[in-house]
Amino acid sequence: MVTKTSSQDALSRAREFSLAGLMGALGLLLPIGFHALGWGGSVFLPMHLPVVVAGFLVGPAAAATLGVVVPILSSVLTGMPPLAPPIAPLMAVELAAKAAVASLLYRSLRLPLWAALAAAIVADWVVLALAAWLAAGFFAIEAGPLQYLAVVVVVSLPGTILQLLAVPLTVRAVERRVPRLRPTPPEGRD
Amino acid sequence: MPHHLDLYVKRESPLQGLDPRAKMLAAGGFVAAVLVAPMRPPWSLVALAVLLMGTGTLARVPARLLSRRLFALTVVIGMPFLLSRLGGEATRAAGEQFAARSLLVAATFLVLMATTRAIVLLEVAERLPLVSTFGQMGEFILRGADLLAEEVMRTNRAWRLRAPRATMKVRLTGLTQASMSLITRAAARSERVGAAMVLRGFQGRLPMAAPARLPWPHLLAGLLFALISLGLAGMGRWL
Repeated sequence: MVTKTSSQDALSRAREFSLAGLMGALGLLLPIGFHALGWGGSVFLPMHLPVVVAGFLVGPAAAATLGVVVPILSSVLTGMPPLAPPIAPLMAVELAAKAAVASLLYRSLRLPLWAALAAAIVADWVVLALAAWLAAGFFAIEAGPLQYLAVVVVVSLPGTILQLLAVPLTVRAVERRVPRLRPTPPEGRD
Repeated sequence: MPHHLDLYVKRESPLQGLDPRAKMLAAGGFVAAVLVAPMRPPWSLVALAVLLMGTGTLARVPARLLSRRLFALTVVIGMPFLLSRLGGEATRAAGEQFAARSLLVAATFLVLMATTRAIVLLEVAERLPLVSTFGQMGEFILRGADLLAEEVMRTNRAWRLRAPRATMKVRLTGLTQASMSLITRAAARSERVGAAMVLRGFQGRLPMAAPARLPWPHLLAGLLFALISLGLAGMGRWL
């Protein structure tokens, strides 16, 4: 019995890792496509799309790990986002928080998809403001975190709208294709 | 097998032959030196830039690769630098500092990635205690990127053959449908990959061979490079 449970755990973790890995790969390739079309990464947030989708399909730990790894790996392999100025580390923190919050609310607390997505976007902004405040102190940057956040939110508005439209559609399409990825209803509720 | 996103350039040079752990140690020391080196007078940063150029030349990293990649960073680094020129003395100094350090850090990673396979660096990261999960996830991403890049190239070829004169609207519709199909197929594929991983002995992590010992000459070379870099950074503070 113990062996069966542990092998089921291993299978579940292996599936999570492989799905997160493929979504992470899209997180590397989509920005390249957007840049090739001349659409700015900071406006359309192409890296956010697959990472947030992964947040709805895998557990919080795998989602947060993916959020950290994608911007750093992309930075090392493609040069974007840059490590210094510390845009990649800031993105790592915000993507980890965004994906983990999405996963926690949708898969663990079973909130509706749109509510979890809205909360994840707000969590992203809060974490970004905090991280910018810490980075500003460390790098002696004069602009305040709220000024930085205001600029980021306004500039990335098209990307946020794109996420609100594309993420629910994509998650539903994936859940239809692979029904196992739907969050299971809590015990005692059908 | 080379990966699609890998920057590795196959060359015969001492740097390519150096153990990746030693190279990571050297790169870490160099980046730390770049971050602590004083801007005024700029001799430390100039000396570090010369050291890096010398290393790149020794490793026979193509100058075209370096310049192309650094040029791509021009917007991110150049725009704030140019804007800082409009400000006062302090803003101009901050702009110079930002541009110089950013370019040097970016060039360091370029030289590291051009002389070491990305998968090898991720395998090293997988053995490190705090970043083990990140390294493992990075390996999955790199392999996934290969699968998806092949798929994208196949779709692109099919598009060029079947619809060479399609309008932008048709292309965008096709691109959206292809992206959606790519994501759903990626999810379905992950089921099979997960099962295959368990068959290969995945128990939270894939079984790994015991790491070879880091040879002393390699460790010394990495350490020496890091110390020289930090020494050059310290020299600027001293002078």
